[in-house]
Amino acid sequence: MASEAKIAETDFSFSVDRALIGHHPAIVKLRQLIDRVAQTDATVLITGESGTGKEVVAHSIHALSPRRSRPFVPVNCAAIPHDLLESEMFGHERGAFTGASGNRQGLFSMANGGTIFLDEIGEMPLALQAKLLRVLEDGVIRPVGSDRGYQVNARVIAASNNDLAAAVKKGTFREDLFYRLQVVPIILPALRERRSDIPLLVEHFLERIRARSGRTLTISRDAMVHLWSYDWPGNVRELENMVERLAIMCEGDTIDTSALPPNLVSGGRMAEVQVPDKIPEGGLNLNTLVRELEGRLINEALKQTGGNKQAAARLLGLKRTTFAAKLRRCGVIAPSVNGRETG
Amino acid sequence: MPKPNRAAQIMVVDDDPDTVTILSRYLAREGFVPVEAGSGQDCLKALQASRVDLILLDLMMPEMDGFQVVRALKNNPDTAEIPVIMITARDDIDARAEGMRLGVSDFLAKPVLRKQLVNRIHAQLEGLATARAAEDALGRFGPETHKK
Repeated sequence: MASEAKIAETDFSFSVDRALIGHHPAIVKLRQLIDRVAQTDATVLITGESGTGKEVVAHSIHALSPRRSRPFVPVNCAAIPHDLLESEMFGHERGAFTGASGNRQGLFSMANGGTIFLDEIGEMPLALQAKLLRVLEDGVIRPVGSDRGYQVNARVIAASNNDLAAAVKKGTFREDLFYRLQVVPIILPALRERRSDIPLLVEHFLERIRARSGRTLTISRDAMVHLWSYDWPGNVRELENMVERLAIMCEGDTIDTSALPPNLVSGGRMAEVQVPDKIPEGGLNLNTLVRELEGRLINEALKQTGGNKQAAARLLGLKRTTFAAKLRRCGVIAPSVNGRETG
Repeated sequence: MPKPNRAAQIMVVDDDPDTVTILSRYLAREGFVPVEAGSGQDCLKALQASRVDLILLDLMMPEMDGFQVVRALKNNPDTAEIPVIMITARDDIDARAEGMRLGVSDFLAKPVLRKQLVNRIHAQLEGLATARAAEDALGRFGPETHKK
């Protein structure tokens, strides 16, 4: 479990401009916010979809703070078994539980003077949430099996990729802890919400590869357009992995469209409508799914026929009137043919 | 994600009146406030008087095409940050590349599923809401950075 406590080395030349890349207003404001928050000891709650860079932001806040020469201790609350999490965080005394053969320092003590980053905080068991709240209030750590507490000075940054507010409503996350963590809320945008930053990010990752490998690697305009058009459900991390992968696969100096995986070239547009292989736990709505599938095929038929509805109907083996009815029901905005538009 | 406390105003710019009507009707049904413009010039003129949250912009229009409109919007600091979604019957890689180069927020080729259009609109509005949330948080750290 000690591997969870990898204490990050601190880069003193750290700059937030290199950590959060982009011109989108949300990113510009977030850079300012991170710069400002770093100068304080305020508790921060970072939320964002997976791959949006929550740990990068947490580390940036630490690296820009007066605590930068002290440890940054990341803890993934979802990766540590629930019954071990308390002793990992707060330490334990010899004999506190079976197998506790010696005194052990917790991650909070290791972060003394520095920053502790509690990732996936929504996964923390309720009983431990109560203890964390107390630590946030008085700064006193009580190791498991000990009746004495001691003062620790660690700045707390928490992160969650699910909606903690919803967890509060459901009763799986303490409301008081939620508000205590949210002194400064930092919300990271999904990559599809700032699509115009994609070319800049791709260029940044390529530059890093060039600097590392000495290669003169570039990407063709058309390949860049495909990367820009894709929805990136795994966000910046997925884009970064993709650029790394393309660089490894690329034998020449230019990454071209032919090197891209097929779902990136054609499937990206259709990725929003997915037919599951299995029926999910919560069930599904067959009518909605069938309508989506119809819409998708109608859409494709219209594309192939250049918007000619009669030809599209033929392509799908439908009567023109049936096709028109389906077109209306599925909500396809068709291209105008002879100046007429159908919705 | 933080939700804005009012319905988003979305401008529909298209020289085909039928398209404008269809899109506006649909946007209204989805809870947005549609603002109609029949040409690029109309769009730019309307924006001098009032702001919108997002622009749905046709590419092929007479006199001033969609790219010219985007250039004018991006050159004006008052309108540069309004997300523009291009929606066009012309889906070739050159058109997409030009849209990307000019900094449009998204590019949709007709036929478009209405659900897809709404998803794309929501994605851009969420991005704006995130920027607002960051600005609000920044505001709590001192008046000098808080402009609202």
